[in-house]
Amino acid sequence: MIIYLLFFLVAFFSLLAVSSKSLYHSAIYLMGSLSVTAGLYLILEAEFLAGIQVLVYVGGILVLLVFALMLTQSDILVNDQPTFTKKIMAFGVSTSVFALGVWLLSSLHLHSIILPTASSPAPSIKQLGHAFLSVQKNGYILAFEIISVLLLTVLISAIVIAKKEKA
Amino acid sequence: MNSHLLEWLIMSLFIFCVGIYGLLTRKSGVGLLISLELMINAGALNFISIHRFLYPAQVDAQVFVLFVIAIAAAEVLLALALFMLLIKKQQPVDITQLNHLKH
Repeated sequence: MIIYLLFFLVAFFSLLAVSSKSLYHSAIYLMGSLSVTAGLYLILEAEFLAGIQVLVYVGGILVLLVFALMLTQSDILVNDQPTFTKKIMAFGVSTSVFALGVWLLSSLHLHSIILPTASSPAPSIKQLGHAFLSVQKNGYILAFEIISVLLLTVLISAIVIAKKEKA
Repeated sequence: MNSHLLEWLIMSLFIFCVGIYGLLTRKSGVGLLISLELMINAGALNFISIHRFLYPAQVDAQVFVLFVIAIAAAEVLLALALFMLLIKKQQPVDITQLNHLKH
């Protein structure tokens, strides 16, 4: 029952996030959508991911977005209304993608696969940490290191891009 | 709790399509980023639901989604830095006007 409530909330917040006129409101609705997704991760027994989702997305990216919105006084940020034709076309494209996806999924006979019970527990955080830092065959240490270098690069380049230019 | 995999997949597909709608209608860069985040989030949710329903013992899906979140954070950081630069140059953050890299 709670799953359907969360489904409804995610859909509701996502729809509001793309359709609300002011981008401030959009950012707040996106925060709602991402937080409820963290709840869905909890149901899927990915507790660590739910925590990371709240920390990185809701705590980091959303704050960044809201700050960027507050620092700008551009008119388009508070009044981003598409034209009616644009809306209709975008609606057509997204509903056709959705219909195609539903048709493909329903042809796969997935109804019989139900949520596993406690007898098949999800991997623990310990296993996750081992997978991240293992140098064995199934480890992800190389990708982990590359992503840390990527984050450092992005941080430095963001500072370089946004810093004050010399007069 | 008798939830089917199909429901979860359709749910993430729905969020993805909402993201497509936002991507096609928004004009400002920050609005595009918001829609993009929704789409990335839908992809991650899809990943985790398939992992939980079909391969609950494997750890790889969670690792992948963590990488996805990290890359999404990096992407938002860079995009916002670019928008800040545009705002400082007194240009609108309107992607319909940003069709030239250098002028």
